Amino acid sequence: MAYTPQYYPGNTSVGANRRKHMSGNLEKLRDIPEADVVAIMGHRAPGADYPSTHPPLKEMGEPDCPIRQLVEPTPGAAAGDRVRYSQFTDSMYFAPSIPYWRSYWAAINCRGADPGTLSGRQIIEARERDIEAYTKKLMDSEMTDVARCSMRGCTVHGHSLRLEENGMMFDMLARTEMGADGNVYYVKNQVGIPLDKKINVGKPMSEEELKKRTTIFRYDNVSFGGKVGARKFDEALEALHHMWELRTKWGFRPE
Amino acid sequence: MEILPSRFLSPETTQKLLNELYTSGGIIRMMIQGPNLPRTVTYGPGKGLPIEEHRNLLVEVGGEVLELRVKVGRIRLELEGEEFLPGIQAACERALPFSFQIKRGKFFREISTISDYAKYGKDADKRILGLVDPRAKKESALAILSEKDSDKKEER
Repeated sequence: MAYTPQYYPGNTSVGANRRKHMSGNLEKLRDIPEADVVAIMGHRAPGADYPSTHPPLKEMGEPDCPIRQLVEPTPGAAAGDRVRYSQFTDSMYFAPSIPYWRSYWAAINCRGADPGTLSGRQIIEARERDIEAYTKKLMDSEMTDVARCSMRGCTVHGHSLRLEENGMMFDMLARTEMGADGNVYYVKNQVGIPLDKKINVGKPMSEEELKKRTTIFRYDNVSFGGKVGARKFDEALEALHHMWELRTKWGFRPE
Repeated sequence: MEILPSRFLSPETTQKLLNELYTSGGIIRMMIQGPNLPRTVTYGPGKGLPIEEHRNLLVEVGGEVLELRVKVGRIRLELEGEEFLPGIQAACERALPFSFQIKRGKFFREISTISDYAKYGKDADKRILGLVDPRAKKESALAILSEKDSDKKEER
């Protein structure tokens, strides 16, 4: 019998969304051209050659090693690409993904990637052509909403701030803007350098859609527990409380 | 008292709200606060590049033109008395298209702190205390909208 991984428990929509993000079984909502994703990332000009840090692995003459024979290198590693990054900030106002779930997604579904979560942002590092492919997947899928998530390489804050009047997440460097046609445009790359042309990434989700797709437990949507808008404790909370009790009383020693 | 809108205000809404508040009367001091809007990219590979979107964010209040340097997220007011509170509430309802909170209380200090002492000296003007960041330049962060002794209005 084939093994089916179990990712996250719970019957709430948030639990189901968290399972979806971890399994990588995501809905594709938009198709942003690859050149545009590369331009927003800002590491190389779209269409330019990939700079490399070492010759392709095939030309290097690798030592005889069973692990190297077992593990096929990613395209970026095989070509000797540089390691580059993309970093996202997600608003706590019902962004579809949250920093920890971006990291889970990357750690489980992306080969040769190094994800890192900070309080309100999430960075993934990988070989250049690999990270471009992963970033395109992120931007195209339901893990990203164009108004509540944005690619920010520096000056990332916005996660825990109130939204702007038009529903966009606040950005100190004004990298994205809401067009008169209701679409969101990137006008700068992820570190705040102006782009040659505005990049249209489509329309933001409605508030109802965001609440349906979010992976955030919040008292004004799906509550994690507690007295305000409390829901029945499900398996996830039972397990969490069990761990908390064991950890508090006996330092979590499962034996 | 303090007004806390549920969203950050655009310059247009800010101007509308400040004018509504100004005309509702009874304001001794006013402070607007929020995240900084830098004129240039402050760090990273794009450091020093101008941020055109944040230039010339001008609002006109009480005949005086002020340059906005923050994204307005909080407004603190010192009123002459509680009787002006309903007027402030009505002004917010007229100007803000979304929800807001009004907190009653005293938000400006009257006693000079060590930072105030270091910046303003022994005889600090009591009206300035608690209005601006100790590091801010008084000339660019403060505006005096009326010179009448009983009706001093200052803004950041």
